[in-house]
Amino acid sequence: MDNNKSFKTRLEIEKSKINKQSIRDDKERGSFIGFALKLGTEFVAAVVVGTIIGFILDGWFDTKPWLIIIFFFLGAAAGMSNIVKTAKKMQEKN
Amino acid sequence: MATNPMHQFIVHRIGPEIKLGNIDLSFTNSSLFMLISAISICAFLFLGTKEKKLIPGKLQLLSELFYNFIAKMISDTAGSKAKPYFPFIFSLFMFVLFCNMIGMLPYSFTVTSHIIVTLLLAIFIFIAVTVIGFMKHGFGYLKLFVPSGVPALLLPLITVIEIISYLSRPVSLSVRLFANMMAGHTMLKVFGGFVISLGLLGGWLPLGFSVALTGLEILVAFLQAYVFAILTCIYLNDALNLHH
Repeated sequence: MDNNKSFKTRLEIEKSKINKQSIRDDKERGSFIGFALKLGTEFVAAVVVGTIIGFILDGWFDTKPWLIIIFFFLGAAAGMSNIVKTAKKMQEKN
Repeated sequence: MATNPMHQFIVHRIGPEIKLGNIDLSFTNSSLFMLISAISICAFLFLGTKEKKLIPGKLQLLSELFYNFIAKMISDTAGSKAKPYFPFIFSLFMFVLFCNMIGMLPYSFTVTSHIIVTLLLAIFIFIAVTVIGFMKHGFGYLKLFVPSGVPALLLPLITVIEIISYLSRPVSLSVRLFANMMAGHTMLKVFGGFVISLGLLGGWLPLGFSVALTGLEILVAFLQAYVFAILTCIYLNDALNLHH
């Protein structure tokens, strides 16, 4: 019985520790690793998707090769904006 | 043939050929290893939570660790509103993690090193997040593509850029996982091939590299599963808590 009681108090202490820690962690760390690993492929993916959209639209409107050129640059711009957005989020967390 | 580093990625049929119209539905080694990882996840979690001891055993500790890890990650990145989606993100993380880790065993097949598998997962997440966004905010979800405080002249351009950036999500999500897994396994195989071709005299250096790379690959296998899950959380956060 005594053993059980002491276990319960210890459990309470540990629980309160966990609560405190999780609040602190929320503010400090957030999800930096996720954001950092996002950056690299995000840029390339936007360029690729932009170019593919341009290619498809070129086929539809028969405007080769203008839309693929325009959408390549739009894709690059989208990639840039992806990176700027991620960087802004990282600074907010900081 | 055995020293070809790309040989390990070949998908071949196991058992009889099953065809549905023009679609090949045969059971392949890829499906076999997906099944193996799904079964091992179920077995692991079932055995881990069978005896609900106050002082957990090793398996119970491990499964509780995974649970806490994902639960904390979701509340950190997507807030309390994302709680109902815990089962989905947990199973996603476990599936990717187990596929990656089982791929690290010798003679096994890495399911996630094929872009079709990762792209399908990513497209499913993309569609689900979009549907959730429209369900929560109605047509207000389209505000995601129209950032506030932009001059009217630039608005069409910015909207197109935002749409491209939104559409690039599944591509970046799937390419990251697939490229990491495939590059790592190819590298392991290349260094393994060096050990054989350099023989007893010069093979020790690539052998050392191989051992070090195996450690790195185990880290990458875990990290990529984590990144896959956390990015799902980030996208879910955009859909649930709309702000711009």
